[in-house]
Amino acid sequence: MPTPPVLLLDGNAKSPPEILGHKGHGIDLMRGNGLPVPPAFCITAEVGARYRAEPAATMDAIWDDVLDGMRRLEAATSRTFGREPHPLLVSVRSGAAVSMPGMMDTLLDLGVSDAVEKALAVEGTAPFARDTRRRFTGWYQRIVGSTAPDDAFLQLRSAIEAVFASWDSPRAVAYRTHHGLDECGGTAVVVQAMVFGNINANSGAGVVFSRNPMTGAREEFGEWLPGGQGDDVVSGTVDVEPIAALRDQQPAVYDELIGAARSLERLASDVQEIEFTIEDGTLWLLQTRAAKRSAQAAVRLALQLHSDGLIDEAETLQRVTPAHVETLLQPSLQPETRLAAKLLANGLPAGPGVASGRAYTEVDAAIDAADRGEDVILVRNHTSPDDIHGMLIARGIVTETGGATSHAAVVSRELGRAAVVGCGRGVTESLAGKLVTVDGNEGEVRDGSLQLSAWSEDNTPELRELADIARRVSPLRAHTRGDYPRLERHSEAAVRTAMASGHGDVVSANPLLAMLAAIRLREDT
Amino acid sequence: MSELTVLQAVRLKGRVSPVDLAATLGEDPNDLAAIVDRLTRSGLLVDGKALRVSPYGRARLDELLTGERQHVDKAALSAAYGDFRAVNAEFKAVVTDWQLKDGHPNTHEDTDYDAAILARLDGVHRRVTPIIAAAATQLPRLSRYAAKLQTALDKVSAGDPVWLSRPLIDSYHTVWFELHEELIIAAGLTRESEANSGDAQ
Repeated sequence: MPTPPVLLLDGNAKSPPEILGHKGHGIDLMRGNGLPVPPAFCITAEVGARYRAEPAATMDAIWDDVLDGMRRLEAATSRTFGREPHPLLVSVRSGAAVSMPGMMDTLLDLGVSDAVEKALAVEGTAPFARDTRRRFTGWYQRIVGSTAPDDAFLQLRSAIEAVFASWDSPRAVAYRTHHGLDECGGTAVVVQAMVFGNINANSGAGVVFSRNPMTGAREEFGEWLPGGQGDDVVSGTVDVEPIAALRDQQPAVYDELIGAARSLERLASDVQEIEFTIEDGTLWLLQTRAAKRSAQAAVRLALQLHSDGLIDEAETLQRVTPAHVETLLQPSLQPETRLAAKLLANGLPAGPGVASGRAYTEVDAAIDAADRGEDVILVRNHTSPDDIHGMLIARGIVTETGGATSHAAVVSRELGRAAVVGCGRGVTESLAGKLVTVDGNEGEVRDGSLQLSAWSEDNTPELRELADIARRVSPLRAHTRGDYPRLERHSEAAVRTAMASGHGDVVSANPLLAMLAAIRLREDT
Repeated sequence: MSELTVLQAVRLKGRVSPVDLAATLGEDPNDLAAIVDRLTRSGLLVDGKALRVSPYGRARLDELLTGERQHVDKAALSAAYGDFRAVNAEFKAVVTDWQLKDGHPNTHEDTDYDAAILARLDGVHRRVTPIIAAAATQLPRLSRYAAKLQTALDKVSAGDPVWLSRPLIDSYHTVWFELHEELIIAAGLTRESEANSGDAQ
């Protein structure tokens, strides 16, 4: 029997992410385990793929099922879509089989009209109703490209079409090309009852990680925005609080959230990144996915999950890629060093690299300082053509205004300087004279001259532990010393040749990298 | 070669050797030496490791630029700058796409990708040429920028892509950045106000 085009995500959809999308799959998983998730249904990725070939016919074919899904949401919430006195608002979100963060479109707060705004003002407050409508109008215009009609079902239909179509947006296509993802297929769409982090002071939105995804430390990590909606948190345009602030403000809800994060980590056998909203003191989980992580965290988390008994040895080695290890062997700003230093400014990463020095705000003074042998960071409101000589002697560049395509960004990249642009007004004053570190990868300026360091296969305990595991799993056992044939390089070709010659044990300068390559070669054959 | 033209060229370069100054102005170095010498002796230019404009010279230049704007059609220059802003956004996107591919440094191994960007650069050049011509009806010295952009574009088209965005040479981006500065001044604006309003980034 073919999969129905629309599936209720009540914990019984039980279809793989290829059908539900990772978002729908995560919601179904959470609901199936009794976690608090607003009711939702999913239009499958198969429909998304059909839509790309025949948009109008596909929408017509599934529309009755969508309406049926809406009736289920109305029944579950005791609310009515697009109608007072208790209106139901929904979000319409994209969800491909593979997470493509920020690449496709999402709309929130659908179902607003004049009458609904009035009803929201009665249920909440007038500012809440206005804020919600303002958000909806903005989303709708930006993503659908026209003014929102009053009819909620017309809004819904256009929103679903826009989300389906965003699979073919240039940035989504570029993302898939870059990550070598399949061009066929399409996105699933999740329609979910809205909960409101903007309704009162007991509300808000945030993101929590079940462990720290930067350092790999066994501690909760995340961001919390009182009075905000989820899109505020991910947009990076407002100042959010660390998740610890929620513990102080709403301890019981915080404990429930952390408990949920732990369960989800166990269910998925991986560290989770969870979007949540608190509506008037009630916790709602909106999405869960495997957390994006730094190379450092990838290694530490794999070892922790293994020692916690959540993954076996073979899986532990799958969680760490050769690229992670290669990254760790290069000198870089270690996340624990970075996070321990005070954040002085942040903006857009415009030129990769990390550089430290004293902040100068005038070109002539900067050039004089560099002539004296100082390491200089040039900080400007904006850059003019004649700033080039200051940029040339600077190790890093910071601007108050400007985007990733600004003249400052263009020139920084040409010169190979670490650069952070668009840090906001007042940064020249606040940084002037300070010893700072510009992190052009993260888009941050931190206090002090931070040292770069690298991991090594010989001396870093985590890599040695991983190599011990690899020697029990890999078809090729690589050692730092011993009476074995020598593997001169750890490239895939060299490892393949060694395996083809029947070597079981070799000596290598990078035993872990050699074994990670060997394990992956075995899977390919 | 007027005092304004020389002071403005030195100011836009920040610091510049006499040879490079002659090259960017398209002047014979020997002819230029006399003017530079005069401006240096009167304290408008400082002659160290490279030439630069003194604070006194900067004030004098601002005076000359204000004088230059007295007799122009302000609406025509504002309109030219408005047109420039639109094509500026596209140009900066072109350069950024040339430098970065999918967020990573462009290795220039994908010739189709690079060719598509260079085709966009041709489009930018076709759009900016009439804008410069319109501005030059008011400030004739701006017509030099069209010639300098053309020279850089010819070098890029001849297969030498460093002339697209390398700083410190009169690459397409260098000339464009200076032209942008000229048009901001010509429209009676400042780069700071423009930067803070999001237009001169």
